[in-house]
Amino acid sequence: MQDRSLKPSPLRRALLDLFVAAALVTAGCAAQSQAPQQAATGEEDFHDPFENTNRTIFDFNQKVDSAVLVPVAKTYRNVLPDPVRGSIRDFLNNLNAPLIFANDALQGRFGLAKDTVARFVIDSTIGMGGLVDVAGRWGIPYHEQDLGITLGVWGIPEGPYLVIPVLGPSDPRDLGAQVAEGFGDPWNRLAANHGLLWVVFVRGAVSGIDQRARYIETLADIERTSLDYYATIRSLYRQRRAALIHRTHEQLPPNPSFSGNGGIPNAARANPNSPPVFVTDAPNGFEVSR
Amino acid sequence: VILRRSLLPAAIALFVGLGISAPPAGAAADPAALVSDLGNRALEVLGRNVTPSEREARFRELFDQDFDVPVIARFVLGRYWRVATAAQQQEFLRLFTEYTALAYSNRLAEYSGETLRVTGSRSEPDGPIVSSEIIRTNGSPPARVDWRLSATDGTYKITDVIVDGISMAVTQRSEFASVIQRHGGQVEGLLTLLRQKTGRADARP
Repeated sequence: MQDRSLKPSPLRRALLDLFVAAALVTAGCAAQSQAPQQAATGEEDFHDPFENTNRTIFDFNQKVDSAVLVPVAKTYRNVLPDPVRGSIRDFLNNLNAPLIFANDALQGRFGLAKDTVARFVIDSTIGMGGLVDVAGRWGIPYHEQDLGITLGVWGIPEGPYLVIPVLGPSDPRDLGAQVAEGFGDPWNRLAANHGLLWVVFVRGAVSGIDQRARYIETLADIERTSLDYYATIRSLYRQRRAALIHRTHEQLPPNPSFSGNGGIPNAARANPNSPPVFVTDAPNGFEVSR
Repeated sequence: VILRRSLLPAAIALFVGLGISAPPAGAAADPAALVSDLGNRALEVLGRNVTPSEREARFRELFDQDFDVPVIARFVLGRYWRVATAAQQQEFLRLFTEYTALAYSNRLAEYSGETLRVTGSRSEPDGPIVSSEIIRTNGSPPARVDWRLSATDGTYKITDVIVDGISMAVTQRSEFASVIQRHGGQVEGLLTLLRQKTGRADARP
């Protein structure tokens, strides 16, 4: 099963950030709107018109992953004890607060926006600049949030599946959003304005390594057991992104599986010849076609 | 914690001894109870201190007993179920269980020693959905696990497990379809790969 934290979050900040962070997504850590659909042809439509190119890039990313990213992530995990890595993660999460707040608000999720403000205030002060996630212990947990999710909530379609070199799984909507957030992030701007561009690099690099380090075994296991690792990662990325967009609607992801044709419990068994009705590619990707 | 550690081997021995397949009383009537019972049993018997092959065997047993395997298998094969010959369908059913045990049993080990708590359940037109969460002991936020069930002859069986928005059935369906399409639409291509992966080259009737 996937760990909940298969998240694209580190991809957000700066372009540079993206390059390292996506390594983790390279390995396939996120997911996105859209369940399998059936096109008119009856073929499964993967929304992946550039599949051949994507697969080539995916193979390349795999090589980078095993030659560079995994060894670095393993070293990071071996050298730093758990609590230290936890603090690093909490600190980086705290830096995300401004963008998370902006996206909470843009989605009209004012309850979440309030939580984000409370977290930022508590963790930045009592939590010693974010090194300790005091707010989380007090029952205000961190939540994933980014501009790609906001655009999804607004109904902007994801577009075709893309595998970006080093960065990994994406699509035009998420890629554009990530770039925009990289430039829009207040800390990145602050650093850049003071000629401290290296800070942006380091932040991105550490964040990416930390993420990758958390999924070394999980991703290795998925790769080992997959029949088609590329296809699995594609599916995981889209489902995860869909779930994140979806969570903001507070519904369960529509499961195309058994929700077909008006949904008698055993529709599939009762009539194996009737194709299940799938999730349509509705603007926000969540309307079930029934 | 110490108590728990000492109890765990005993509990495992008990389950193995009794046979994991003894269905808990009342589970059939109540989806939430079924999920709670199965979830916690799974977390217990699929622990880290079990060899991978033993873990697979236990997973297979739980899967066969509490999951609606024929319905899931048909779903994950999608339109190719109808294209497949009867013999291919039969072989797929066998390989599917093997493969799922192989693919998922180890991933569950990550949650070993943790507790699943049912947080709610509701009825949908397609059947009940039970929501639960696994409280993590490693400091991560709880994992949300949603279970889809269907009723057959008054007995509930699980048709899908959705972990933090990622559906097992959808993932498998997508992967299997991709494999078949890359083999020129031939179901045989998928079966060949499944045989290789599961080491059941002899699974053919």
